[in-house]
Amino acid sequence: MKIFKEYRELLAELTKREIKARYKQSVLGYAWVILNPFFQMLVMAFVFSKILRVTNLSVPYALFLYVGLLPWNLFAASISSSMNSLVGNGSLLTKIYFPREVFVVSAILAKIVDFLLASIVLVVFFVFFHQQVTINIFWVVPIFLIQQLFTYGLSLMLAAFNLFYRDIQYLFGLILLTWMYLTPVIYPTEMFPEQYRWIFKLNPMAVFINAYRQVMLGGGMPNLSSLGIALLLSIVMVVSGYHIFKRLEGMFADVV
Amino acid sequence: MSSNPAISINHVSKLFHKQNQRTFKELIPALFGGKKVVESFWALKDIDLEIKKGETIGIIGPNGSGKSTLLKLIAGVSQPTKGEIKTNGRIAPLIELGAGFHPELTGRENVFLNGIILGMTRAEVSEKFKKIVDFAEIWDFIDQPVKHYSSGMYLRLAFAVAIHTEPEILLIDEILAVGDAAFQAKCFKKMDEFKQKKVTIIYVSHAIESVKSFCDKVLYIDHSQMMGFGESEEVINKYIEGMGVIK
Repeated sequence: MKIFKEYRELLAELTKREIKARYKQSVLGYAWVILNPFFQMLVMAFVFSKILRVTNLSVPYALFLYVGLLPWNLFAASISSSMNSLVGNGSLLTKIYFPREVFVVSAILAKIVDFLLASIVLVVFFVFFHQQVTINIFWVVPIFLIQQLFTYGLSLMLAAFNLFYRDIQYLFGLILLTWMYLTPVIYPTEMFPEQYRWIFKLNPMAVFINAYRQVMLGGGMPNLSSLGIALLLSIVMVVSGYHIFKRLEGMFADVV
Repeated sequence: MSSNPAISINHVSKLFHKQNQRTFKELIPALFGGKKVVESFWALKDIDLEIKKGETIGIIGPNGSGKSTLLKLIAGVSQPTKGEIKTNGRIAPLIELGAGFHPELTGRENVFLNGIILGMTRAEVSEKFKKIVDFAEIWDFIDQPVKHYSSGMYLRLAFAVAIHTEPEILLIDEILAVGDAAFQAKCFKKMDEFKQKKVTIIYVSHAIESVKSFCDKVLYIDHSQMMGFGESEEVINKYIEGMGVIK
């Protein structure tokens, strides 16, 4: 946590580099950050509400999907980007020392900025569909923070491992795809076969996405026991991720 | 003067584990096939010396002798296997200049980015911005993406940023060999200024003449070992003799 104070400016600068550099040579520039998930959602909404019908929802499918898709995309993008953050900054790794987790944190921060921008569309959706919200919507903040904790822990581990074996990034591409289908992003939990539903309990991403839907669309409280388990898991993830990262840190410059 | 050394290198050795298998596809058969997965070699063996504040030290030795490894250890990016290194003061590595530059960003953006990477605050960079760009002589292009820069311009800008961090220890690795004559002259002038200001300078080079004229002391490394450390003249002669034997 110290790095947020001591390396605040470095973090800000690296995050800015990440954001600014990405869409420099494109006409629409940063608008892609909003357009991309929007079109992704349109295509998926068409497929899953018109072809493979997801039924029995209390809200329009597009809205249902988007509430799950945005945090999932944030998770997947953060993981992929931070996994490459050490490899991609190899020339800096061998040149100057500062805590290496700065790279991972700035990769995640850049994705959070993307996520917040993409969320504008969600707000428009809420207005468009006249979706009512209750005071419980403020639960979004702690759920989001726990999700970031989980993401950070996993990112630290994967970023370090990927420096030693680049297989990690390819392998994890596959894992992310599987993971998404085992998380109720495009379908509601109720459609998942009951005997396998315990998977969701062990899958923090499933807990987060169900919780977002519960507080934003259902208007109720999140399932606190599930969220508690997810919080515990996330803390374990961060502590062990940080530990592994710091143990390997001394070797980064030698293997990159 | 203070007795506090700028850099103290205390019986430092560095073991490298060279792993030949970089992917699982290579690693897994190797593990089962009983092949040696990790090969080790000592990149540095028992380096022991002390560098005082304000000294200018040249490091010479043939390629692959461990010079750059030593610089990495001093910069703190790599950890010694045995022994320890203590440094005292802000380090500016002039190694692989422009490593933190992003080609898509403009010169101005890169100056801020790199300045902060090298340990300045945003306010410090703002304050020195004019000086940096003046030194690099790059005003006409400062708002262009650096990917459109010539390699000389790129280098000048990176160099300018690095030397304006007000370093107390300057690590220089061969960089002065690149760039045109005018730029080289300018760099050496700047180096002399640093010398006068009692900045500790570590200068790795193959250019014996410039080491001889520029450095107070010279460290000669060969095959990971310290072959000599002391007065420039003496150590350089030893080096030339050593090279002669190999030829």
